[in-house]
Amino acid sequence: MSKAATRVGATPTKRLAEDGGASRLSSSLHSLSLRSPSKSTSTPAFADSSSDICPVCKSSRYLNPNMKFLVNPECYHKMCESCVDRIFSHGPAPCPIAGCKRTLRKAKFRNQTFEDLRVEREVDIRRRVAKILNKTEEDFDTLLNYNNYLETVETTTFNLIYKIDVEATERRLQAFAEVQRAEALSTLPASQASKIRSVSSTQQITDSKQESSTDRVVLKKSAGQRKVPSSSMSTPDPFSGAENGDVDSGFNFHGLKKRVAPEPEKPYDPYGGWSVEPQYFILQDDYDVEWLKHTKDEVKNAAGGYDMKDFYTRALCDAFSGFGVFIDEEMTARDNQASGDAVIGTQTAAAVAAGGRDVHMDDLF
Amino acid sequence: MKFFIDESPVLFPYPRIYPEQYAYMCDLKRTLDAGGHCVLEMPSGTGKTVSLLSLIVAYQQFHPEKRKLIYCSRTMSEIEKALAELKALMKYRTEQLGYEEEFRGLGLTSRKNLCLHPSVKREKSGSVVDARCRSLTAGFVKEKKERGEDVELCVYHDNLDLLEPHNLIPPGVWTLDGMLRYGEQQKQCPYFTARRMMPYCNVIIYSYHYLLDPKIAERVSKELSKDCIVVFDEAHNIDNVCIESLSIDLTEDSLRKATRGVNNLDRKITEMKSTDAEKLQNEYAKLVEGLREAEEARDENAFMANPVLPDDLLKEAVPGNIRRAEHFVAFLKRFIEYLKTRMRVLHVISETPPSFLNHLRELTFIERKPLRFCAERLTSLVRTLELTNIEDFQPLQEVATFATLVATYESGFLLILEPFESETATVPNPVLHFTCLDAAIAIKPVFERFSSVIVTSGTMSPLDMYPRMLNFSTVVQESFTMTLARKSFLPMIVDRGNDQTEVTSQFQNRNDPPVVRNYGTLLIEFCKLTPDGVVVFFPSYLYMESIISMWQGMGILDTVWKYKLILVETPDAQETSLALETYRTACNNGRGAVLLCVARGKVSEGIDFDHHYGRTVLCIGVPFQYTESRILKARLEFLRETYRIRESDFLSFDAMRHAAQCLGRVIRGKDDYGIMVLADRRFGRKITQLPKWIQMGMDAKNDKLSIDQAVGRAKAFLKEMTVPWSRSEQEGMSTWSLEELEKHQAKKKEAIIQGADVRMLEGRAEAMEVVEEDEFGGADIDEVMADLDA
Repeated sequence: MSKAATRVGATPTKRLAEDGGASRLSSSLHSLSLRSPSKSTSTPAFADSSSDICPVCKSSRYLNPNMKFLVNPECYHKMCESCVDRIFSHGPAPCPIAGCKRTLRKAKFRNQTFEDLRVEREVDIRRRVAKILNKTEEDFDTLLNYNNYLETVETTTFNLIYKIDVEATERRLQAFAEVQRAEALSTLPASQASKIRSVSSTQQITDSKQESSTDRVVLKKSAGQRKVPSSSMSTPDPFSGAENGDVDSGFNFHGLKKRVAPEPEKPYDPYGGWSVEPQYFILQDDYDVEWLKHTKDEVKNAAGGYDMKDFYTRALCDAFSGFGVFIDEEMTARDNQASGDAVIGTQTAAAVAAGGRDVHMDDLF
Repeated sequence: MKFFIDESPVLFPYPRIYPEQYAYMCDLKRTLDAGGHCVLEMPSGTGKTVSLLSLIVAYQQFHPEKRKLIYCSRTMSEIEKALAELKALMKYRTEQLGYEEEFRGLGLTSRKNLCLHPSVKREKSGSVVDARCRSLTAGFVKEKKERGEDVELCVYHDNLDLLEPHNLIPPGVWTLDGMLRYGEQQKQCPYFTARRMMPYCNVIIYSYHYLLDPKIAERVSKELSKDCIVVFDEAHNIDNVCIESLSIDLTEDSLRKATRGVNNLDRKITEMKSTDAEKLQNEYAKLVEGLREAEEARDENAFMANPVLPDDLLKEAVPGNIRRAEHFVAFLKRFIEYLKTRMRVLHVISETPPSFLNHLRELTFIERKPLRFCAERLTSLVRTLELTNIEDFQPLQEVATFATLVATYESGFLLILEPFESETATVPNPVLHFTCLDAAIAIKPVFERFSSVIVTSGTMSPLDMYPRMLNFSTVVQESFTMTLARKSFLPMIVDRGNDQTEVTSQFQNRNDPPVVRNYGTLLIEFCKLTPDGVVVFFPSYLYMESIISMWQGMGILDTVWKYKLILVETPDAQETSLALETYRTACNNGRGAVLLCVARGKVSEGIDFDHHYGRTVLCIGVPFQYTESRILKARLEFLRETYRIRESDFLSFDAMRHAAQCLGRVIRGKDDYGIMVLADRRFGRKITQLPKWIQMGMDAKNDKLSIDQAVGRAKAFLKEMTVPWSRSEQEGMSTWSLEELEKHQAKKKEAIIQGADVRMLEGRAEAMEVVEEDEFGGADIDEVMADLDA
């Protein structure tokens, strides 16, 4: 194992000389990054993908036409599938490429999507950033603010890609993520919130190695808050703010619309809000009238399915349904129209229409 | 001669006029008065260009608002011809009117043809000339010079600044040669003279591309005013021009070059950051504001719309994530890298822009919106960085245009990735075709902006196809025939050989020995009987090669050799022009020659075989497109779904317009004569799709002939043509003098009062009869679909 490592040791520099174009560019990118150039030696000089030789075992596609190359997003060093099997089958091991001391796990190895590994890494970073900074245009009140936000996102991503101020940027991202989560919880209805919270907390635990222990503390805190959801309503989370110290919410974006909690859903109404409340009478439970007594007392009316109330409603409706209908006026209006004097006809009709605003055809059934 | 159409006087530079020319002018005038678009078909060789020009110039001079004429043609030679016609017309007008009108007519062509700079003009390739010219004439180069830096400038271009900006060249009509001569005399650049004088011209003559190709139109034609009269001459291929101008092909090589271009940009930005950071900051500030300046300009209707820069784009600011130069460069890199990834796939993919965008977003987090701004942002960046070697960034520009188009149009475009060049290839050579399926997209701004657009050609049948395909409405659609004193052309359809086997170029039997032998016999017979040149058109290069080799085996070529010199067109332009030259020489001395060429090649489009250069044209097989092409299939589907044009209709329309174009090559005037042979049994059903003037020349007995019958007819026809004949015989019939014209006008007036039909007198084709067909297109469609499946 160590022998192999030393043998490999000479290759990166040789490769650097070979694929001059790509690495010159990468170094120029690093010179952009204002950081000390010593750092750039630790970052891998990405191998030219057109070369079909595994940098670890030196077998080439010529010998093994089915060779597949895998990369690990930890350090983006490329090696063939069989090397991955050989080295990482028995648990985590250091990267076999000389000068790279990162510990890699087999599960994290994957096919590379892009030919250019720099782009591959960039996209990975973007994926992470996009998960946290996920505002859309609708969240902002003006386009300018949205554009400013997009630029901030881009700058943040650039910082991560070209390793400018990584720690500070990471811290800000974490903080922002916290605030976002708290905000999302506060606006969601309680039942959904708890569900999401549990999901997100498990996610948090599984996916983040980078997260500091302080974050875990926060997580526990927020788990504790589950019992009293009302206390988490205040938006800038007081706990995370206190623990992160100087930066409270990571980023400050202007022009963000306040997030409005969606109205709690009402029970389903098949009539869509339309009701048949009687307008001219109020139905009472019972009417103490002489001529009803007989009907009430009759045995057959006590059978199941017969309700005296229906009877009352029917009777009352018969009595009052003519209210609000003025046949006279309607007749005159019709006559006027028929008489041919269109102007007067329309005028009266308009008057009827205007005056009879409260004319209400109360059709109950 | 001078005559009146309605109230406006028209000066026609010849003493006699053809009836159809008069009718053509009447229709043109009707279109201009009504202010709409029109489609006009008039046979080649009947003086389309001169009637167009004389009417429109007369119209311009008669009406006080003097609408500008933009005359678009296809090739350099046609542009030159039109300029010469215009010059002759204006000379005639001056003579007749007795004074010189204030009039400017200019032709515009590429820098390569108009350059005078001693070293630049020697460059061979057009793009190099463009690039070098830009590096000598760009605005910032001049600024640098003024700052005292040592940079080279073009003297010819600089001299223009010393002149009055609206009077760079005296009034008159300037042919391209004339411009060059004048430029040499005055030491001024003809190209920029033409460009800058465009707003002050009455007539501009240039190529389609200056109006249709969005990249060029943006720079050259966007300032043209709304009331211009636009003419597309030789427009039978206009839909293809439209489609080509918006289609982009990306290969691995072009992506590699684009990557190089991005890296160059990156380096330039780093450089500029250290030297002139302020400039980048200024650009940034401007982009924060948005493309508002351009929007204001468009609000005032100053510019023509550009399909690559849709209106709503201008109203918005550039998205924040590509505002900074370095962000934009990384953005481009990511996009190109994504395209490279897509190219690695080893099976054919055809997908719509929305699905492409979805996948793109999933993989690279590139949203649709910044993608739409790509082309505009790149232009702005290149301008800020003051790059002179634009040609290095050509592939990158292409990628950016692709990005913008793919993000702008949800329908009308399709992405097709073909990993292998042919079915049998094993080494991948991927090409990503981004094809425009809708010809209407590119031409839409033209129809929207200009009130009168005239689409005209010798072969436009069926007339309603163009308005449907290009999605515009017409006020006038008309087809004219040629009025002839004697029957001077003989169209025939040969559908079987002497042994009664049918001849066809159908895929299944095109290589059958009897078919090939019969085609060979046809060629031999017509070579025997034709006095001078014979032109033969094949559907494709592939078929031509195979049939020639089979003829060689059968000894047919040896027989032909006895009568005619054999020449063959090749895809190589120079070889073809050499063959053409030899052909002409052979026709000028002795027995003549036979030219074997391809119906969609260079010969069929731009070369005239007038008089003895072409006495017989043989069209061997129906020139269908290569139906296996995925792009064509996609387009057919689109046409069916969007414009309700059936696949078979479009294919046969397309084949017949090319066939007609080939046939039209031999008749170039009224005293010309020639034989036209369509040799395929399938032509029998397609007669109605030929231009009216050919249809009317075709007798009912001539549409189903065997070879020997055709030979008999042709011999009789040629004998008839040898009867001495003078031009005076056609006077009063197919040419009119002024008196005859006036007599006709009086008669027409009378006829209109009486309600009689005057169409035939003017050589108009009779009104289109609507042929009722069953919905499924009868037998024809099966055949075409079978071809599609084959």
